[in-house]
Amino acid sequence: MALAQDIIATTQEIFSTMIMLDVTPGEPCSRPEGPFKNSVSGMVGMAGQVKGLLAIHLNEDVAKTVTGNFLGMEVEEVDEDVRDAIGELANMLAGNIKMALTEKGNDIKLSIPSAISGEEYTIDSMTDAEITVVPFSLESGEFMVEFQVEGA
Amino acid sequence: MGKTVLIVDDSNTMRKIVSRSLRQAGLDFDDILEAGDGQQALEVLGANQVDLVLSDINMPNMNGIEFLRAKAENDAIKEIPVVMISTETGADIIGEATALGAKGAIKKPFTPDSVNDIIAPLL
Repeated sequence: MALAQDIIATTQEIFSTMIMLDVTPGEPCSRPEGPFKNSVSGMVGMAGQVKGLLAIHLNEDVAKTVTGNFLGMEVEEVDEDVRDAIGELANMLAGNIKMALTEKGNDIKLSIPSAISGEEYTIDSMTDAEITVVPFSLESGEFMVEFQVEGA
Repeated sequence: MGKTVLIVDDSNTMRKIVSRSLRQAGLDFDDILEAGDGQQALEVLGANQVDLVLSDINMPNMNGIEFLRAKAENDAIKEIPVVMISTETGADIIGEATALGAKGAIKKPFTPDSVNDIIAPLL
């Protein structure tokens, strides 16, 4: 539950500070079954004392809204700018959640962020990982922040 | 202002956002140069007169700490001030950056005000 609170606080801070959008957290939930459809996912891996994966999953409309606010421009399609923005969003989420974990004595290294998009894709979960998923809503729709962690 | 800033970040999005934040903070540089990693930054510094570098830490090819180390060994560019802009603002990594000459650190997420607070005194 503490991890979910870290995810909520970090996500709200990033969205209010840099994306100028208010986001409302929902109840932490289980990982959705089935593939992501017409979506964009940004991901950052963690290694060291905590091995994990931080990901943010948004449907295409929400990803375009978020990227548009992030860059201060109109975004009409999911292109490299959108994937780059969502990857950077994952990077900021992971970095700030890492700081919350590091204060608890964990030495963690972050990977370079990556992002994928498509009509239908799946992202494998890590073996034996504890998975925390927090849904968020905003005016243009919903998105999820997922943290898979081993050894927390 | 008549000054030039170099923004170093592997994310094109973040380079645009940092550039916009500088303008919003009232820091109107004459030229804003960009580099995608530390190696590119060294090349830009070698070919241009730059007054300030804003650098990410977590980058491919040459990260921000490796960039600081290489810059410190080059007499022609070692005095150019560098401010780190990163999610990585733990005491250990910022201590390492400071020991290598970094003049400050801005934590992502940031506001134009927080950018101004760190950068204005360096200009």
